[in-house]
Amino acid sequence: MIEFRGVNKWFGALHVLRDITLSVEPREVVVVCGPSGSGKSTLIRCINGLEAINDGALVVDGQRLGDRTTNMTGLRAEIGFVFQAFNLYPHKTALENVTLAPIHVRKIPRAEAEASGREMLAKVGLADKFDTYPAELSGGQQQRVAIARCLCMRPKIMLFDEPTSALDPEMISEVLDVMVGVAEEGMTMMVVTHEMGFARKVAQRVVFMDAGAIVETGTPEEFFADPKTDRSRAFLSKILRH
Amino acid sequence: MIWFQLQSLVGSYPLALRGLGMTVALSGISLVLGTILGFALGVLRTSGSRLLSSAIGLWVDLIRGTPFLVQIFLIFFILPELGVELDAFTAGIIALTNLAACFICEIVAAGIRSVPTGQVEAALASGLSKWQRMRQVVLPQAMRVSLPPLVGQYVLLIKDSSVVSAIGLTDLTRVGWLVVQRVPNGLLVFAIVGIGYFIVCYPLILLARRLERRMSAAHGEVQL
Repeated sequence: MIEFRGVNKWFGALHVLRDITLSVEPREVVVVCGPSGSGKSTLIRCINGLEAINDGALVVDGQRLGDRTTNMTGLRAEIGFVFQAFNLYPHKTALENVTLAPIHVRKIPRAEAEASGREMLAKVGLADKFDTYPAELSGGQQQRVAIARCLCMRPKIMLFDEPTSALDPEMISEVLDVMVGVAEEGMTMMVVTHEMGFARKVAQRVVFMDAGAIVETGTPEEFFADPKTDRSRAFLSKILRH
Repeated sequence: MIWFQLQSLVGSYPLALRGLGMTVALSGISLVLGTILGFALGVLRTSGSRLLSSAIGLWVDLIRGTPFLVQIFLIFFILPELGVELDAFTAGIIALTNLAACFICEIVAAGIRSVPTGQVEAALASGLSKWQRMRQVVLPQAMRVSLPPLVGQYVLLIKDSSVVSAIGLTDLTRVGWLVVQRVPNGLLVFAIVGIGYFIVCYPLILLARRLERRMSAAHGEVQL
């Protein structure tokens, strides 16, 4: 579904992705973790073309990124992206947020889009917030709207860029619960997160990155019980200490 | 004396009304045209090619950096030399529209630049096309920032329209000049002219203030 083959990327002189080779199968859930600045956000932002790669090949849903024949707008419609800062449209209600792309990109009739939008918002526990503007929602609620906004497009892939990092602790679990639900329905997911409980529960693989390279890959059981490298041991001891 | 002057002023009210009508027509037409053109330029300025953007930027700076009176003279006296015959009204509309478009272009461009990158990324990630991103996500948010200065700019435009009297259009200001020849009391005549402009501008000033207050509300759409 997603295949990195020897991908490199530079921001000026900074080498942010080093020889990334990684393949994600359909229905697989992969958690990406690593210290800040290790390139994990850049890695998943490349998948829907928010960042361009400089070298190597990246094939998503059978289409090679950067090819002239690849329709990026069409491909992006198949990929949901959840941002750390939610990025809901502040001038639109929750329902308008989740129906905008279905109506304008998928060309679904408004009434139909609104019906499935309501259903999706109810599914993430926001049945009473259809007409509420983002500024009136808590962080956890906003992030759940953001997830519903992606799901309304019926995507093939969902990418999450530190979806709970901007949240107050008491709101993290409500968002993780929704994400677990999405994973259990068989969505192909790549999740940048430090929520190791989530990784244990639904991830098939954990990818550990440091300094722009993939240092270690393994099942959550292997990775948490027996990290293979010094860098992953040092990282885990820091985030699991408390 | 004053009584006699007032009487003859009242007698010139048809002329005054004509002048007011001319001022309103000139400002109204160029306000609408200038807004449309200014929006188009503002969008191109921020999302067109770099060459186009710099070309627009240069033109805007040129217009903002020269007196409006000079611009009007250039259009009215130079264009006919080049074979483009213009009546004074058309020349006035062109000059005012161009002036309005240049100021509005910068206001709209500033509004567009104020929309956070995350908004564009979210729209991009959901598969919206360039025009849909602009129409559905960027412009509505840019408008919240742009609307108060935009209305303020309209007020300036209405006042700038007084300059067109220099090419012989009988607008409110020129009516003042004509009347003052009959009623030799400049203070009185131009006080009335000033009140005429104020009556047209004041509602807009109030509107700008209301919009500014509404903008401080953190959510929702700007409703006119």
